[in-house]
Amino acid sequence: MKVSLTKGDKIFLGCLGSGYIITFIVMQITDHTFDLEGLGQRWIVQLPFGSGLFSRVNPMTLFVSWALMAILIIFALSIKKFERIPGKKQSLIEMLLEYFYELTKDTIPKKEFVKPTFYIATTLFLFIILSNLLGAIPGIDTVPTENGVKFTLFQSSWYSPTSDLNTNATLAVFVLIISHAFAIKAKGFLTWLKTFFEPNPIMFPINLISEVAKPISHSLRLFGNVMGGGILAIIISYLVKYFLLPTFLWGFFGIFIGAIQALVFAVLAIAYIGSVIE
Amino acid sequence: MELAEALVQLGKFIGAGLAMGIGAIGPGLGEGHVGASAMEAMSRQPEMMGTLTTRMLLAMAVTESTGLYSLVIAFMILLVA
Repeated sequence: MKVSLTKGDKIFLGCLGSGYIITFIVMQITDHTFDLEGLGQRWIVQLPFGSGLFSRVNPMTLFVSWALMAILIIFALSIKKFERIPGKKQSLIEMLLEYFYELTKDTIPKKEFVKPTFYIATTLFLFIILSNLLGAIPGIDTVPTENGVKFTLFQSSWYSPTSDLNTNATLAVFVLIISHAFAIKAKGFLTWLKTFFEPNPIMFPINLISEVAKPISHSLRLFGNVMGGGILAIIISYLVKYFLLPTFLWGFFGIFIGAIQALVFAVLAIAYIGSVIE
Repeated sequence: MELAEALVQLGKFIGAGLAMGIGAIGPGLGEGHVGASAMEAMSRQPEMMGTLTTRMLLAMAVTESTGLYSLVIAFMILLVA
């Protein structure tokens, strides 16, 4: 396979590479050490109104996920219409969408649910892969301290929204609710209710637990990979005294593991919806 | 009082180590099986290598998740509680 790069590709790759090199140099010059005290801590802000759990937000998750959604929408709007002879951007999108469409068509047994499931799975995939790729790029990091919050530039990777369990749990519960809504629509309410009492009514608690366990394993898988990857990068680079490794590890955990986990999340969403419908 | 805190610390470290160590057995065996079967399939049909590699990575990512649960639990024991 021969890869030919255009000028734009070279500029993009150059920016990415120089970002990594700048990070490495900044780390060496400033004698940077990761804050192992603030490891796994989150910047959480209490809103002025309301009280309790529902008035506390993680600002980084909110801002970064809004920014990602804005990027996706702008990208979608930037394609005015699909040409007969595809350009580079268009053929990339067509490849991705075709792959997912074939996958959905093979998994979903009922024809009228193929398209909605395809939209959901592809949207999930694009959002998750973008946010995982952010974890591979050096940028702003926030570490909460005793008085306020500390921002560091070019010393850690960007905050990816999927390293917050709230994002993943939201997406997983959303898949669960949608799959059951589809099942009700496909089979009718009573038939859907009856599937919980099969093969006989004694199995009802087990069926219920197996449904509730789906979003838990679905969300924790992604969370564990992204969060564990981030923490492992910090710990391993602490062990080797910050010699070049952090950027390499971000690349491995962000790009390789991140892409696989985004695909796994989308494929499992399709499989869950398909298993409930039939 | 100091003894009590020391005992709590001791329990945390032992618990996190056990959680991660025992939790890594299952995914290790599982990924070994996945890899072995994929190798066997590849040696039988070398022309399917591209598809098999993607499927193998996908299956490995799913198998790995139980190990990651124990990683999350270990981090929770060490850092959160």
